[in-house]
Amino acid sequence: MVRIAGLRRGGIVLTLLGLAGLIGLYWMSFFWVSTELTQGIVQRIFYVHVPAAWTTFLAFGFCALTSGVYLWLRDERLDRAALCAAEGGLVFATIMLTTGPLWARIAWGTYWTWEPRLTMTLLLWFIYLGYFMVRSSTEDPERGKRFAAVVAIIGAIQIPFIHLSVLWFRSLHPQPVVVRPDGPSLPGDMLTTLLTGAAVFLVLFMGLFLFRYALETLRAEADRRARTSTI
Amino acid sequence: MSTYFRQLGAIVAKDLLLELRSRDRISSMGAFAVLAAVLFHFSLDTSTTRPQDVAAGLIWMTLIFGGLLGVGRTFHIESQDGAMQGILTSPAHKDAVFLGKTLANFALLFVVSLLVLGVFTLFFRLELGANVGWLVLVLGLGSLGFVALGTLFAAVSSGTSMGETLLPILVFPLLVPMVVYGAGTTGRLIAARPFSEVEGNVKLLGAFALAALAAGAVLFRYVVEE
Repeated sequence: MVRIAGLRRGGIVLTLLGLAGLIGLYWMSFFWVSTELTQGIVQRIFYVHVPAAWTTFLAFGFCALTSGVYLWLRDERLDRAALCAAEGGLVFATIMLTTGPLWARIAWGTYWTWEPRLTMTLLLWFIYLGYFMVRSSTEDPERGKRFAAVVAIIGAIQIPFIHLSVLWFRSLHPQPVVVRPDGPSLPGDMLTTLLTGAAVFLVLFMGLFLFRYALETLRAEADRRARTSTI
Repeated sequence: MSTYFRQLGAIVAKDLLLELRSRDRISSMGAFAVLAAVLFHFSLDTSTTRPQDVAAGLIWMTLIFGGLLGVGRTFHIESQDGAMQGILTSPAHKDAVFLGKTLANFALLFVVSLLVLGVFTLFFRLELGANVGWLVLVLGLGSLGFVALGTLFAAVSSGTSMGETLLPILVFPLLVPMVVYGAGTTGRLIAARPFSEVEGNVKLLGAFALAALAAGAVLFRYVVEE
């Protein structure tokens, strides 16, 4: 019980920190950072979109990893971590999928295009929708956990194929500006804002993750008590 | 090693024998394919669209939807009379069970894919010419990748309360690479382009099928364990 209280306190602290950071990030991206020359004002959405994208891939990667180890070790905590990471990933993927088209409408002239990273994110979103549907539609929770882990792992294996296949159509997406062989090409204040965004989203994700993890642990504990009390 | 292949062969033989006697999956998939081709033909306005230009995409859609009909019922026969328990308690390796069921499904779907190709050639007046062999290869690789994913997720969906309605939701997002390479290649081959132009795509289609088979063989044991 002490552990759950600690988890929840950590969740509260990190979430509050993340929300405060979010206000700071909005201030930075609206007022502090200089306007990009060619794209103009619409480029500012980049400071929300890109950190959301990074957090999404981190969350889904973590989910696939913990799912794989869960199938191996069968530790309930790993499955709980995978579930909470998948939920967080789905939230940030939704942010990425809503901010992207808003920017694309101005920059590319269209809300939607079958661009590789866009397509991949959409498909990942649906793969993780399947992840939750599988979990919730099995009578035996243990079976649901195994099925969901299989979906998460297959989804991760598919990413390179999806990426390669949609790359077949010419890419419209802006090229990477931070992680490149010759170092970041972004001007200083933009890089600062972007990295602030990444840190804020990461803290927010970890806060939400701990919250959910504490809740799932409580739920498992309640389940266990309900089962032992009836016997 | 030889016992492994004997076990695998026994599963394939059992499934194909059952199918040969009942013919319910192959006949439903075959009838679906022909009727879908008829519907697709009437869904096109031939005064604005040349049927030949869109045939490749429709061939793949027919193959996928028809395939779901048959592959979704892969474990239907095992769900009765506790037959699945029997197979799982038998000394056969779990991955041999998976590969056996996948190969049996592949044999069915490959026959259906040839039927689909024939029906579309007839209804859409395609001129396959010298590319027939390559088209059969491409459809075969596509069918293999599809049944590998389909068989794994048929085992998943048949273990849920949603049953077969869950199958397309799980499989469709994963089929995008296969459709991109498969339909693209088929379209070019139907348009009488040389094979060298699509060779890279065919290799990726093969890699996709192999990756799906390997992933299924490894993960299947976690799906069926009790």
